[in-house]
Formats: sequence, structure tokens, C-alpha cells
Amino acid sequence: MRVTNRMSFDQAQGQMMAARDRALQAQQQVTSGKRVDHPGDDPAAAGVMVSQGIAIQRLDTIDKTISSAQGEVQTADGAVQSVSTLLARAQQLAVQLGSDTYSAAERSAGAQEINSISSQIVQLMNTQVAGRYIFGGTKDSAPPFDASGNYQGDGNVRQIEIAPGLLQASSIRADVAMKGAGGGIDVFGALSAVSSALANNDGAGVRGAIAGLDKSTDQISAALTSTGGILSAFESAQQVGSVAKESAQKVLSAQSEADVFEATSNLTMAQQSLQAALAVTAQSFSVTLLNYLK
Amino acid sequence: MAADLFSLLVQSGNSLGAHSAAMSVAGNNVANANTPGYARQIANFAANPGVSSLGAGSVGTGVSLVNITQARDQFVERQMPNALAAQSRSQTESDALSALTALNPDLEGGLPNAMGVFYSSLQTWSQNPGDPALRQNVMGSTQALVTSFNQTGSAIASARTGLDASITGKINEINAAAKSLADINRQIEIAKSAGGQPNDLLDQRQTAIDTLATLTGATPYTDAGGDVSMALPGGTALVVNGNAGTFSAVPDPSNSGLLKLQLNRADGSPPTDWDGTTLGGTMGGLFAARDGALKTAADSVDALAFNMATALNTIQQNGYDVNSAPGVALFTLPATAVGAASQIRVNPALNPLELAAAGTAPAATGDNTNVLAMIGTQSAPLLSGANPAATMQTIVTAFGTSASQADALAAHDAAMATNLQNLRDATSGVSIDEEMVNLTKAQRAYEAVAKVISTANQMLDTLMSIAG
Repeated sequence: MRVTNRMSFDQAQGQMMAARDRALQAQQQVTSGKRVDHPGDDPAAAGVMVSQGIAIQRLDTIDKTISSAQGEVQTADGAVQSVSTLLARAQQLAVQLGSDTYSAAERSAGAQEINSISSQIVQLMNTQVAGRYIFGGTKDSAPPFDASGNYQGDGNVRQIEIAPGLLQASSIRADVAMKGAGGGIDVFGALSAVSSALANNDGAGVRGAIAGLDKSTDQISAALTSTGGILSAFESAQQVGSVAKESAQKVLSAQSEADVFEATSNLTMAQQSLQAALAVTAQSFSVTLLNYLK
Repeated sequence: MAADLFSLLVQSGNSLGAHSAAMSVAGNNVANANTPGYARQIANFAANPGVSSLGAGSVGTGVSLVNITQARDQFVERQMPNALAAQSRSQTESDALSALTALNPDLEGGLPNAMGVFYSSLQTWSQNPGDPALRQNVMGSTQALVTSFNQTGSAIASARTGLDASITGKINEINAAAKSLADINRQIEIAKSAGGQPNDLLDQRQTAIDTLATLTGATPYTDAGGDVSMALPGGTALVVNGNAGTFSAVPDPSNSGLLKLQLNRADGSPPTDWDGTTLGGTMGGLFAARDGALKTAADSVDALAFNMATALNTIQQNGYDVNSAPGVALFTLPATAVGAASQIRVNPALNPLELAAAGTAPAATGDNTNVLAMIGTQSAPLLSGANPAATMQTIVTAFGTSASQADALAAHDAAMATNLQNLRDATSGVSIDEEMVNLTKAQRAYEAVAKVISTANQMLDTLMSIAG
């Protein structure tokens, strides 16, 4: 082939530019750690980065949401457990004072303790987390129980998303647990039956009211089971979520992050080829017949 | 006629002229080594016919310059315009597409990011819908989402209008190049009728052909008279002999007011609309980017904004705010998806207390059923058939695919064009070394002929001294 001056200049220029371009790209990958900047760099990876990025953000938020709901449910669980302890004390009192060996005065003191248990339970049921009443269903802005144990809340259960598209109850129904809505027993009623029998010094009445306390205890145990169920659902959802997040993160890194070793060796290679291109170009420019014609 | 000393002097003088012309040609070649479109010229010599001398055969009568021709490879030159047009088209499209960064997957504050933040704020709010701080947070992220839609929409729109500015500039270049080709055709006709080959005009014509092909993808064709006319892709003539057509641009209301081309043909017929995407070269590349991948991206971001906002508006309007009033729209939108991304706003009438968390009235403060429904939109298919994140993924991948295809094509076309350019240069390009040899060759011949003259002169002197 006949080689002309423009050819060799153009070619040298083109090769130097290409080598510089490769070196710059390799340098960008090494310094940013990313192999995809513009969607055109790798269209499929760019798309995956978008959807995985959103998915990770969603899983992240779901995890945080579960954590704050968890705080509420744990508090609820503790409150219900205290109720259960108080009921056990009431039961103990009723069994003890139901025996005919006790005097009216002793039974009256027992009645007062039962009343105090009842109002403690009201207080427990009006527990707030960050200013929010947790036993009122979706009515969380006002105390769900008044002083005499009447329910002011609603019959709804609050729900949150614990996995994309999956809803889980994050509250228990206090009207069911405490007031026996749907065929259960009114715990406050059972307590006041014991308390009034004690106040009336009615031993047989006290013994008769123990059955109500037994039912109440069962009802509270059921409530504890459901708070426990919610907490374990939260826990497993968080575990599943963190596995999902981890795998999404892996996919994201695999698509978006540059392999450091590969990027570095690419950079070295690109720099060497740039150096070679520069050296060869400079050399070829210096060889001309003009140097020999005198 | 005898070979006498006087005619030797005369013919040597003529030969000196021929050799100095060869030196001029070499000098001209060297001078034009870097001139675009310049084809190396060659001085062609021929020995003058001999005369019979003394009955012993014929004696030559020196050399003369027959003509100065150009070194051209018609086969390669034929392929050049198409290669240049293809290279220019794909390079222009690739440049235009890679300049758009609004769809970069990792862009801080980009659409994917804003969508994620928006849904996160709903998620957090869902856990405690009565919390005023969380409501405020939702308002903030809604505004951020809208801003991101606006920015993405206007970035794509301004990329498209930016290409319009290039289109306007390129129209001027095309019209100038077409006119210059027509003018050169006329000048060549005149020069040819005066006799001789107008080498420099031929070079200029080749340059004009290359320029026009690079700009429009037009292909040259030569008529019987030697005029080179050019036809646009599809066969419509842009330049016919000494007449050139012109392009102009007018806003196209059916395409967001962007420019459309009109062709005023070389034959003077009235202007007709011309689909720019059918062109090759730079102009075709500009239209391919503007009305291809960028338009698709603009339309699909508009559709995403419109469908997503409509779905969220419907849910918001089905719910109840803190005062148990039915929710008001979250976003204000244009009537159709056209321009939705740039025009979407947060409903200015909306305050945080009017975010409808409750699914039933009267609204309980802890009722989050409507928030859960809003969160549900991120898993539910939009009107377009996919959920918002998947739609966003499709938009980014589709745009990226166009960009990377254009980029790969640009690299391929550039290699093709470079290869042809090298082939053309191999024939037509100037080699300084070669011209130095030619120059030296001419110089030596010149010296030798001069020596002949001085020898003849001495011989004449000798003769004169005898006669004296």
C-alpha cells in the first residue's frame, strides 16, 4: 500500500485519541468504582440498577416500619402480661377470700384491692407509645378505656406492610381481649362481680365469681398469644426482608460496581497502550526523507 | 530537416519548461499535502515525435508536458459519500443520546431515587398515620417526586430543543454546500468548454460532494455531460446540474412545536414537508435522536408521570382526611399524558392534614387503610401494564439500548469511513517523501538539460570561431 503523509498523521491522531479515550474510561471506573454511569454503558445493568435500587429502598423502609411497629406491639405485649399478672393476683385473692374463714373487714380490704387492680388494668390499657394509644384500634388519639372500664375505641385492627404486598396486623383488639366482644367475657365485669361479692361479704358469691376470672385469664392468654404471634411474624418478616435485601444488593453490586482488579489492570493496560501510541507516533514523525536531502 | 545545433537549443529550452512544470507540480503537491479533498497531481510527459535525419532513422526532439492529471480511485470515491454519511449519522445520534444524563441510573435526585423516597415516606407514614411530622414528610417527598419528574421531563425536552438549534445550523450548512456544488458544476462546464481538465475545481467538487453526503446522506450521480448531481435518500434530487434545492424549517405543532423540514426542490416546485428521519448524515442523526430514542424517553416518562399520579389521585380521592372530608387530588395534571412530566405539580390546595389516610368516614386517626392502598400502587400495574419501578426500569433500559446501539454503530461506521479514507489517501494523498524524490528527479533532469544547452552553446562557439 502506498503510504501518504496524511494517512500516517490521521492514523496516529486517531489511535492516540482512542488510546486516550480508553485510558480515561478506565480511570473513571477505577476512581468512581462504578462500571455504569450512562444507561448506554450497559442498558440491561442500568435497568436492573434502577429497579433493584427502588426495591432495596422499599425493603429498607419496610424494615424500619416493622421496627417502630415492633416497639408498639412489645409495649402492648408487656401491658397485657401485666394484666395477666394482676388477674392472677385477683384470682388468688378471690380463692383465698372466698373461704368462709375470712371476716367482712378482710373481704372489704380484698374488694378494695380488686378495685385497684381494675383501675390498674384500665391504666395499662390506656398505655401510650409516643403519644399514641395502642389499644384503641384505629382510634389512637383518645384513651380507649374510661375509668369504669368502658371501651371507647373501635373494633379495627391496624395493619402495616411487612413484605412487599403483604399486610400484617400490628395491633390486637382490646375490645375482644378486655370486653369480650364477639362472645367473650367482660374482664372488668368479672372483676367487679368479685369486688361487689367481697364488699357484700358474700362468700358463695365470691366463689361463684371465680369462674369469670378464670375465663378472663384465658381470654388474656389468648391476647398474649396474638401479640406473640405478631412479634414473631415481624421477626421472621425482618429476617426474610434482610435476606431479600442482601440478595438485591448483591445483584445491584454485580451489575453496577466495577471489579476493582479488572478496572485497575484495564487502566494499566490503557495507559501502556497510550504510552506506546505516543512513542510510536513521535518516532514515525521524525523519519522523513527531508532529513537526508541536503 | 537535419538535426542542427539551433534546433537542439530550442528543443532543450522546451524541455527545461517541461521539467520546471514537473517541479511546480511536485511543489504544489507538497504545499497541498494537508488540503482536504486535494488529489495528488501528476505531470505526464511524452517524448516529442522524431524527425528523420540524414536518412539514418529519426532523432527525437525532446520532451513536452502532455497534461497534468489527478490520481483518483473512482471505485473508492464512489463509496466515500455513503460511508461518510453513515459515520456522521450514527456519530451525531450517539453524541446526542450520550449527552442526556437525566436517565442515569445512579443520578442523585433522579427519578428512580425520588420514587423510592416517595414510597418510603408513605411506608413510614402508614405505621402512624396520625403523626403530623410524618404527614409533613409525605408532603416533602411528594414535592421532591414532582420536582424530579419536572427536571427529568425538561431535561429530555431541552435535549430535543437543543437538537433543533443544531438542525437550524445544519440547514444553513446544507444549503451552502448544495449551492456550492451547483456553482462548481457550472464552473466546471465553463472550464471544460475552454479546454483542459480543471483539476482544482474537481477537487472542490469532491469536497462539496463529501460535505453534502456527510450532512444529508445524499448520494452523487454523474450524468452524460459529466455533471455530478446529488439525490437525497429515497431518490429525490437535491442538486441537479447547476441548480440546488434548499431546506428550511418550520415549527411542527404535532410534535411539541419542534422543527420540521421543508424541501424547496432544485426544479423550483413549491416547498413540501420532508421527514428528517429519512435523511442520512448529520441531519438524519439529529432527527433520529430527537424523534427516536429521545422522543420515546420523553413520551414514556410523561406516561409514567400521568399514570402514576392518576392512580395515586384516585386513591387519595377515595379516602378521607383528618376532618373526615373526602381527599382532594394529590397532584394536578394536564388533561392528557402529553407533557405530563413537565407539567405535573403538587396540588397547591393540598395541606398535610388533607392527606387522606383513612379508608372510611368518620376518619379514625389511626386508620391507615388508604395509605396502604397508596403503597399498593408500587406493586400494582399502571395503565402501561407494569408497576412504576418496572416501568422506570424499562424506560432506562430502552434508552440505554438505543444509546449503546448508536455508539456501537458509530464505532463501526467510523472504522469503515477511516478505512475508505485510507484507501483514498493511498491513491490520492500526497507523500512528502515521494514528492521530494519527484522534485529531485525534476531538478536533476533540469540540470542535465541545462548541460545540453551549454554543450550546444560551446559547440556553436567553436563553429563561430571557425567561421570568424
